[in-house]
Amino acid sequence: MADLATIALTAAGLFFFVAGTVGLIRFPDTFTRLHALTKADNLGLGFIALGIALQAETWAQVARLGLIWALALLAAGAMAQLVARTALEREDAE
Amino acid sequence: MRGIWIKAILHRTVLFGAIWGVLTAPGVEGLVAGLFAVPATVWLSLRLMPAHHPVALWRLALHLPRFLAGSVTGGIDVARRAFARDMPLNPGWVELPVDLPDGGRVALGGELSLMPGTLAAGSHEGRLLVHLLDTEAGFDRTIPREAADIAAILGAKRTRDGRP
Repeated sequence: MADLATIALTAAGLFFFVAGTVGLIRFPDTFTRLHALTKADNLGLGFIALGIALQAETWAQVARLGLIWALALLAAGAMAQLVARTALEREDAE
Repeated sequence: MRGIWIKAILHRTVLFGAIWGVLTAPGVEGLVAGLFAVPATVWLSLRLMPAHHPVALWRLALHLPRFLAGSVTGGIDVARRAFARDMPLNPGWVELPVDLPDGGRVALGGELSLMPGTLAAGSHEGRLLVHLLDTEAGFDRTIPREAADIAAILGAKRTRDGRP
């Protein structure tokens, strides 16, 4: 049962990572691409972490997965803003 | 002012202590190193990000379900657009005044970047610049609510320049 849930959840996670990559390739400019990367990858990593957490043997491992997701979220939110701000400044300069 | 600092030291000790515990579990020898590492991290974090605002952790916890729901709808929305044959995008910008201290504005920007259809691109003269994936979809309607939530987490004692 846990194995099935792991397969379903990690598959969902992979789906969103693929969606983020497809968005990165297909979307027209820096800003729309950032939307795709941050939001889809955030959800993809969340699903993968959840799927793997079901296989964990100790609560410490579950907490570690949660920590990885939280840190990746913080990094994604901060990086998206920095890249968007820089792209906007460059656009204004041109 | 003093209360804010004591509260901040407590909060950050618990936070960094928990992270240290998670990283080093189940080994006991790691905890000994933590006795030095955690206070050093708290000191450094107070140097880098002084405690100007009382942070209401319970409000942060209350905000979590909304954040998770937004993450899911945001991811699904962007995936749908990426895979759609006609790729429905209608990008544009909104500018809105945000009465938050600098740290709060960065937190709001980071959060908006993960919520459906919004992306923060810094601020200009106290106004937050937000990129919308689809200007027709009403993504910007949720921004004031997010801003109010973050203001509440940072406590009511705030002024325009962010000093209590």
